[in-house]
Amino acid sequence: MGILRLSHVEIRVPDLELSTAYYTEVVGLVETAATEDRVFLKGWDEQQHHSLILRYAPTYGVETLGFKVQDLEDLDELGGRIEAHGIATKRFAAGELGPGSGETVRFTAPSGHVTDLVHGMVQVGNALPLHNPPPEPPGMVGIHPPRLDHAFLMCEDVDEITAFYTDVLDFRLTEQIMADDGHQLATFLERTHTAHDIAFITGPQGAFHHMAYWVDDWNELRRAADNLAYNGVRIDAGPTRHGATRGWGLYFFDPAGNRNEVYTGGYWADPDREPITWTEAEMGRAVFYYDGVVDQGFLTEHS
Amino acid sequence: MGILRLSHVDISVPDMELAKAYYTGVMGMTLVDEIGDRAFFKCWDEEDHHSLAVRHDPRVGMDRFAFKVDHEDDLDLLESAVESYGFAVQRLSRGDEVGQGESIRFETPSGHEMELVHEVEKVGPSYAKVNPELPFGMQGIAPPRMDHMLINAEEVGDAAKFYMDVLGFRLTEQLMGSDGHPIGMWLERSHSPHDLAVVSGPNGALHHFAFWLDDWDHVRTAADILAYNAVQVDVGPTRHGVTRGNTIYFFDPMGTRNEVFTGGYRPDPDFPTITWTEDNIGRAVFYYEGEVNDRFVSVHT
Repeated sequence: MGILRLSHVEIRVPDLELSTAYYTEVVGLVETAATEDRVFLKGWDEQQHHSLILRYAPTYGVETLGFKVQDLEDLDELGGRIEAHGIATKRFAAGELGPGSGETVRFTAPSGHVTDLVHGMVQVGNALPLHNPPPEPPGMVGIHPPRLDHAFLMCEDVDEITAFYTDVLDFRLTEQIMADDGHQLATFLERTHTAHDIAFITGPQGAFHHMAYWVDDWNELRRAADNLAYNGVRIDAGPTRHGATRGWGLYFFDPAGNRNEVYTGGYWADPDREPITWTEAEMGRAVFYYDGVVDQGFLTEHS
Repeated sequence: MGILRLSHVDISVPDMELAKAYYTGVMGMTLVDEIGDRAFFKCWDEEDHHSLAVRHDPRVGMDRFAFKVDHEDDLDLLESAVESYGFAVQRLSRGDEVGQGESIRFETPSGHEMELVHEVEKVGPSYAKVNPELPFGMQGIAPPRMDHMLINAEEVGDAAKFYMDVLGFRLTEQLMGSDGHPIGMWLERSHSPHDLAVVSGPNGALHHFAFWLDDWDHVRTAADILAYNAVQVDVGPTRHGVTRGNTIYFFDPMGTRNEVFTGGYRPDPDFPTITWTEDNIGRAVFYYEGEVNDRFVSVHT
């Protein structure tokens, strides 16, 4: 019933070949399809056709993001609610939006992000057999995270987008960073009973802060950092601990300048869990618990 | 909608002082309440009243296990589903059970008493809700929360069918005997590899309940703590083929098997079921050893 989880993110890159090489060889995603101007990728453990689309464009940033809904009827239900909220929606048949795509309701959220609700994306299976599978496929390259975890976006009015996500899309607030003037600086929202599936922080409308792939543990974060350093990838912050979400993260940039994260940890959140609040004075520890300060680049650099 | 996750396991022990010492000092749970011949424990990150209830009894065993449902209406819906399946349902009012609002109890085809509960007394986690500090200096293993449990049943297929058809559990993995009958079935509601698993054995028995740890490093620390406290380790630290998790099995001082568990994966409701064949049972259960020890198969409470 309703939104299940983050399904995929589509980002813009000015050099499709370079970005594809980076996402397949350094990050270690699996390429599942390519068209003239797009490349489709997934984590090795993902059953669905793609969790990342690279789109050729003269710039960078996020083109669309998609959430998977549990039942086909959820598209009608949520589409109706979005329309009733005064936002136009457009329906696409399965396959219409490209290889593997499911039936989709598309709209532009109050944050300025083009957002899809998807049901029935093609299932291609993970990289393991369904009989007596090993825990991980051999011979994976790069960081090879099992799956996409969450996305972090920017917009001018975090209070407004948070109300939209909770009231219209039934997301639940797990944590918030409150500004001294009473506004929400950042909010963390979930559907999967985790610390977050999507988060928003104050910034330009429609901007992309990062997307995060899951890794199994802190040791994998260290190996990811080794991998990135070896490949000359620019590391932004970490490996470190987040105060908000209680997870461990490592931030870095793809060749186009889109921020990536690998993330692990966090907690289970019941639907009736009371949200955690961070005050502006403690924002440093909310974002980087060990460092206690947020560097300007983390707040100002986006795509 | 429907069942959310494992809420609590209620066991009986012959020595309450020893149980309290072990579950607080070695496991690192918080003793929330002691009422009459019962003691109630929770983990540091759990908000609900308890995830483990221990009752004094000359015999070691399991009284019941409880799952939490998402909405209040789910109790009515699942009550009629269980009754339609032909099982009597007992309704408990607020105050009938410690730390709980209304709940329903019934016997399952595997001979276990199961409880479903929605409203639970909130005691909160071991940290503040404003600018929380990570809890520090906790005793023992200190898992953040309970994760799953494994029960025995004579007819694994029939038992699992009830949990799936009536209670809405989804099958993630199954271990099939060469005679075509399932030896083990792993079921989930929380988009994890399992919340409840059923394996071959006597009806009504408990194989183990498991606490979540954050990672393999915490599993290693747990093994150190268990060894230091002379706790009898059953198997591990090792890896499961089924669920892909990392694990240690051990026994509390009264003989109830505990597990600490981490890892696994996140299945969607349309996840294709993984099948293990009997000739691979060793790797299915203990991926590194490739064989299952007799104690693991024969000891239950």
